[in-house]
Amino acid sequence: MERNGSRSPRKPTDLPQRGQRRFFRGGCRGGIHSTVATGASFTQNHGVHLAELRLRDFRNYGRLDAQFTPGFHLFLGRNAQGKTNLLEAIYLLATLRSFRGVGGTHMVRHGAKGYFVGGTVVGRGPAEIRAYWSPRERKLSLNGAPVKRLADFLGTLRAVVFCSEDVQLVKGVSRVRRRFLDLLLAQTRPDYLPLLLRYTQALRMRNALLKHPLPDEEQLAGFTAELVRLGDGLSAARRELAPRFAPLAAQAFRRIASEADELGLEYHPSVKGDLAVALANSRSRERTYRTTMVGPHRDDLALRVNGQPAAQYTSEGQKRTLALALKMAQAEYMTGLHGSPPVLLIDDVMGELDATRRAGFLPLLNQSQRAGGQVFMTCTAEEWPRELGRELIRWSVDAGKLNQA
Amino acid sequence: MTRLPEPVTALAAALGRLPGIGPRSAERIALHVVQSDPTAVRDLAAALTLARERVASCSICGALTESQPCPVCTDPRRDATTVCIVERALDVLSLEKSGTYRGHYHVLGGKLSPLNGVGPEDLRIAPLEQRLDRAPAREIILALGGDVEGDATAHYLARRLAGRGARISRLAQGLPAGGGLEFADELTLSRALEGRRDMAP
Ligand SMILES: [Zn+2]
Repeated sequence: MERNGSRSPRKPTDLPQRGQRRFFRGGCRGGIHSTVATGASFTQNHGVHLAELRLRDFRNYGRLDAQFTPGFHLFLGRNAQGKTNLLEAIYLLATLRSFRGVGGTHMVRHGAKGYFVGGTVVGRGPAEIRAYWSPRERKLSLNGAPVKRLADFLGTLRAVVFCSEDVQLVKGVSRVRRRFLDLLLAQTRPDYLPLLLRYTQALRMRNALLKHPLPDEEQLAGFTAELVRLGDGLSAARRELAPRFAPLAAQAFRRIASEADELGLEYHPSVKGDLAVALANSRSRERTYRTTMVGPHRDDLALRVNGQPAAQYTSEGQKRTLALALKMAQAEYMTGLHGSPPVLLIDDVMGELDATRRAGFLPLLNQSQRAGGQVFMTCTAEEWPRELGRELIRWSVDAGKLNQA
Repeated sequence: MTRLPEPVTALAAALGRLPGIGPRSAERIALHVVQSDPTAVRDLAAALTLARERVASCSICGALTESQPCPVCTDPRRDATTVCIVERALDVLSLEKSGTYRGHYHVLGGKLSPLNGVGPEDLRIAPLEQRLDRAPAREIILALGGDVEGDATAHYLARRLAGRGARISRLAQGLPAGGGLEFADELTLSRALEGRRDMAP
């Protein structure tokens, strides 16, 4: 049910601050990439859903105006028709990032100047989001007012994405897991994101000093003091969170793993003792590598299956299951925290799972359904999992057009 | 498409170098200027020249002033043994508006920012030390912005100025993060001043 031509998006206003511009850049490099809890209370227990999605020159969508109810939406279509692009756009409304880890230029339709993504979120009162991106301009507005602080925006729409790249949580470098950890923390603590952005800034400044053949030690000390103060805050928050999240992940893993496998999740800080001391001790290595060698930016999240490091000692299938479990735990964590489930964006991962594992995924979908939440899932027509029930809202996606099936 | 006359492009380019004026605004202003009453434009040009000629940095503290040294530096009722260090000349105005501070100032002209290539030698730190050599201070207040660079600059100065026998303090937290002093209202600023804390070098 596509409406053509009736409405043109009003222009959102300028994003004023540099830090926010950085955040609005698409892609996953650096920083966190998901929604963030603000200080608001979440006592109501009704669902939050995306009621309207509007795209202009986004990926292969020249123009799209679609309305969505709560419930389970299935995007069906052949490959490369734009199914995942829809999930990407919804995720972008929630997090201002692409879950594909690409920058804004990749999301602009070929030949267009910039993209526009707009959405109406219904839940705690309707909220209208408008985001415009071009290489020269980034604009973000909420209910017609320009967004000045990201904390005021993030949390308007919360989403968790399940995609095949999730397996990097297990196979990939520590940065992927750090980002996942940062995301969880930004959701639990309103003070975490500013702290993280500030730490990253202090780190970049300090590394810039270290690039000199003979760094000014006094200046370095100034930025080190700042790095230590912020780094201590990050470590404390991460140390506190890991034992709370670990049981949820272990439980989700038990539910979808075929064998009776035990998942262990543990925070592995880069520095176990005093960060200031560790930095002082690493000065000679810093002279060699000309960068900051220790600190929270080198932390990791250790994943073990039956006591063995998951990256080395699990099969490809187990890795995918584990990644899925982490994402399920993330969704459950957010639900527990905010009282309403996040919008679930499921990109083709069902096809990778056998029936047993799919069954383990069902409670999460049912929970979302009960709470009036929303699920968007992509599938090629031949393989959509019929056991997911009859209450599916089916859409066909064909060459950048969306029609209710 | 005909191009704009060269003087308009040149004017737009000059305007575009001003803070807060993007290429589009610059072009709009330039087009406005060339279509305005010549007298108004002459007045504007005169006002620009006059302002630049009459206003300069104070030879002692670096604040903007019409007289040398500035009225703050020459006011006998102000406490010359307390020096408040700020990033920009504009910050002096913000603190003066809060009305609670009765000491002297020193404008650094920026903050340490390795990513932007700003080091200690780019700031007015050497003149500050010469000034403190001539007239030692009892207290040095670091009133720098609350962002990463501001905080690192405060740490740096606390170390560099230690050993002069002066109390070194900094403004209490609570200033808007990421912004300079101009984003703080007067009440916040005077509270931050009152609640200033000693800084360990
Ligand atoms: Zn002066």
